[in-house]
Amino acid sequence: MSEIPLPQAAKRVMPWWLLRHETMLAVILLIALIGLGSMNSRFLTLDNLLNQGRLTTEVGLIALPMTFIIITGGIDLSVGSIVGLCAILLGYSWKVFGFPLPLAIGFSLFIGGVAGFLNGIVITRVKVPPLIMTIATLALYRGLAEGISQARSVRGYPEWFYFIGQDNLFGVPAQLWLLLIAIVVTAIVLDRTTFGRTLYAIGNNETAARFSGLPVDRVKLIIYTLSGLMAGLSACVLVSRVTTTRSDMGIGYELDVIAAVVLGGTSIFGGIGTIWGTVVGLAMIQLLKNGLALTGVKGDATIVVIGTVLILSTLVASSLQRRREGV
Amino acid sequence: MTTDPHREAPTAPLLSVRTIEKSFPGVRALSGVSFEAARGEVHALLGENGAGKSTLIKIISGVFPPDRGGVLVDGRPVDLARPDDARRAGIATIYQELLLFPELTVAENIFMGHAPRAGLGRIDWRAMHEKTNALLASLEIHDLQADRVVGSLSVGNRQRVEILRALSQDARILIMDEPTAALTEYDVTRLFDIVRKLKGRGVAVIYISHRLDEIFAIADRVTVLRDGAHVATRRVADTDAAELVQLMVGRRIESLFPKVTVPIGKPVLEVMDLERRPLTRSVSLTVRAGEIVGLAGLVGSGRSELAQTIFGVTPADGGEIRIDGQQADIRSPAQARSLGIAYVPEDRGTQGLVRPMTVRENFSLAALGKVAFGGFIDRGAERRLAGDGLKRFAVKTSSLEQVAGKLSGGNQQKIVLGKWLANGPKLLILDEPTRGIDVGAKAEIHRLMGELAAQGLAILMISSELPEVLGMSDRVLVMREGRVVAEFPREQATQESVGAAMMGSHENAEKAA
Repeated sequence: MSEIPLPQAAKRVMPWWLLRHETMLAVILLIALIGLGSMNSRFLTLDNLLNQGRLTTEVGLIALPMTFIIITGGIDLSVGSIVGLCAILLGYSWKVFGFPLPLAIGFSLFIGGVAGFLNGIVITRVKVPPLIMTIATLALYRGLAEGISQARSVRGYPEWFYFIGQDNLFGVPAQLWLLLIAIVVTAIVLDRTTFGRTLYAIGNNETAARFSGLPVDRVKLIIYTLSGLMAGLSACVLVSRVTTTRSDMGIGYELDVIAAVVLGGTSIFGGIGTIWGTVVGLAMIQLLKNGLALTGVKGDATIVVIGTVLILSTLVASSLQRRREGV
Repeated sequence: MTTDPHREAPTAPLLSVRTIEKSFPGVRALSGVSFEAARGEVHALLGENGAGKSTLIKIISGVFPPDRGGVLVDGRPVDLARPDDARRAGIATIYQELLLFPELTVAENIFMGHAPRAGLGRIDWRAMHEKTNALLASLEIHDLQADRVVGSLSVGNRQRVEILRALSQDARILIMDEPTAALTEYDVTRLFDIVRKLKGRGVAVIYISHRLDEIFAIADRVTVLRDGAHVATRRVADTDAAELVQLMVGRRIESLFPKVTVPIGKPVLEVMDLERRPLTRSVSLTVRAGEIVGLAGLVGSGRSELAQTIFGVTPADGGEIRIDGQQADIRSPAQARSLGIAYVPEDRGTQGLVRPMTVRENFSLAALGKVAFGGFIDRGAERRLAGDGLKRFAVKTSSLEQVAGKLSGGNQQKIVLGKWLANGPKLLILDEPTRGIDVGAKAEIHRLMGELAAQGLAILMISSELPEVLGMSDRVLVMREGRVVAEFPREQATQESVGAAMMGSHENAEKAA
């Protein structure tokens, strides 16, 4: 029951969309692109940019459902391990079980979905906090992957399988089409549907969402399952791109994914975020990495730069937030 | 623990607030407000939401500085740049949302930040407990132990801890912002006992409340604010409720409880032997179309728990619920909603409203099915739904895209009500529908309730405010310790009869709280 009158002036000075985190980030991205482009002629070429799109697809596919999860105030740290588990099961079921490759792909996607569903069911039924549950399955799924693989890698897939990871379709990397479709679908779902609205309501006030008769638990179950499924898809794309299967695949993906989502303006406390922000966040991280590498910056320094950008963008976001709320 | 009231010549008033002005960008919050409070005076501040009461007390407690004007304590100007300055000047504020540490004990909460020290910076636990017990004894509080964990206490007891905390810092001016908003009648009585004791010791109490009867019961003088301006200061003995309301809203309010008699129809809700331990025990009740049934009881008597069991938040373990004569096994709020039940919960901020979301999104939240087709939200339909709601309930907001949490309490409550009525329910369960909202908005909500009942809606109203229960209900049920213990038709429901049934006896009341 705040009776403090809130200043309206800030709103009048700048249009609302300029104050949006995503817009600010896009502007910073543009400046960084021009800056890096002027330092290196190979950076701002269509070939290079498309190739960066190829490299970012695996993280990107997972970042989309992660945006959903973080909007509800949850988190899924097990995605990297699910990538590893699915990759191993793809190779193993094809080579050892003798599954035809399409079936092996389906099997590995299914396992990804099951792994996510397991996260979701424990989080909603047993009320284990998502952070704890997915830290546990981060270890569990990776352990399974290593146990199954016994440090053996699987190679020698049929030629057609490499299409998705290495070929182009209409001049664009094949997997980038997958990512683009996923982006459009998730953006529409988040922005236009009752499902998307429920995600925001859960993140802003889970109790009120429940009291309003929204299917809170079902929605949560769906997004954690989706997260596992997309991690499985990401595993297939990854295996196809690098032509081999190893149990350490996807290690550290969870951090890349969360960094992109949070950089894109999704609040780690839930309730705020957009798919378009996540896309800008993804582009930002990948292009910074690439641009700095091309300019001759060493790997360690690149990580330092990315960390700094993340901190700066969080500062900008929270100051914008304060402005909007007029505190 | 207070200072001697006779230490200084009592010529200057203890607290003097001089022509305070405060503007926020775009809004003038206070324009030249002055008032004074003497030693041992209870001075009430009265005004509708948005009148500037909260801004004023935040200035007095050093949360933010005034643009012009100042505060004098004992006739000397004090510089209140930070809350700490106010504390040193002997000013303590008890806010509506109590600022306690639920995991710590009573003694630890009271002495947080100024615990008695033994050598080497260690906390002197014995001295702390002794001091706490002395404080408790000085206010004759016997049912509170120094080592109880605060999280386990009732709201009333938590508030007592806050008051003790203020006294432990030698506060001579105590500001209480809506102290009774969440209290039961019994706790209110005990609060008043404490306020009278403080008065006797020369403490000046600045008392903010929407409830006029409380002001007449406890205050010596009352200052009315409207739109940030000082309207009048009256001695309570020289004024009456009608005058205060008129000063406050600037117009006359016809009647506080516009109860109209409407024909009562068939039973809409029938509850038989409903069980959900520990707080719903073999409850049976009926609510008919067009009927307003008031559910009275102390906090902790199981009224909200009953409502939430009927609504499927905490599904029943046993017994039967019938809607329109059809047996219904309600397992979730979504199911209750599809059966035509609406529940306006007790706690607007956490249960009713998604405060960071917009007015439009809040209006449609419980009725998304009505504005969505195949899962896709039709923005136009949603705007129409919310726009209609705004008009129907006269919600004051700058736009549909306004963040709901920024509206006044009364307007927030209208949105919660509107969001549920958008579904066209048959049964409306209202849990403390007018808690913490101002007189004007309250009257509007009461008028709406009357209209809805006239349209044939069955209404079950939970309220801790007896005048509201008595004024609005066709029938009054009383709950105690999870059971319905008494039922009164409108004619027989009086302050005394209902009050006695609520209490049972004092011991029972305390156990229940």
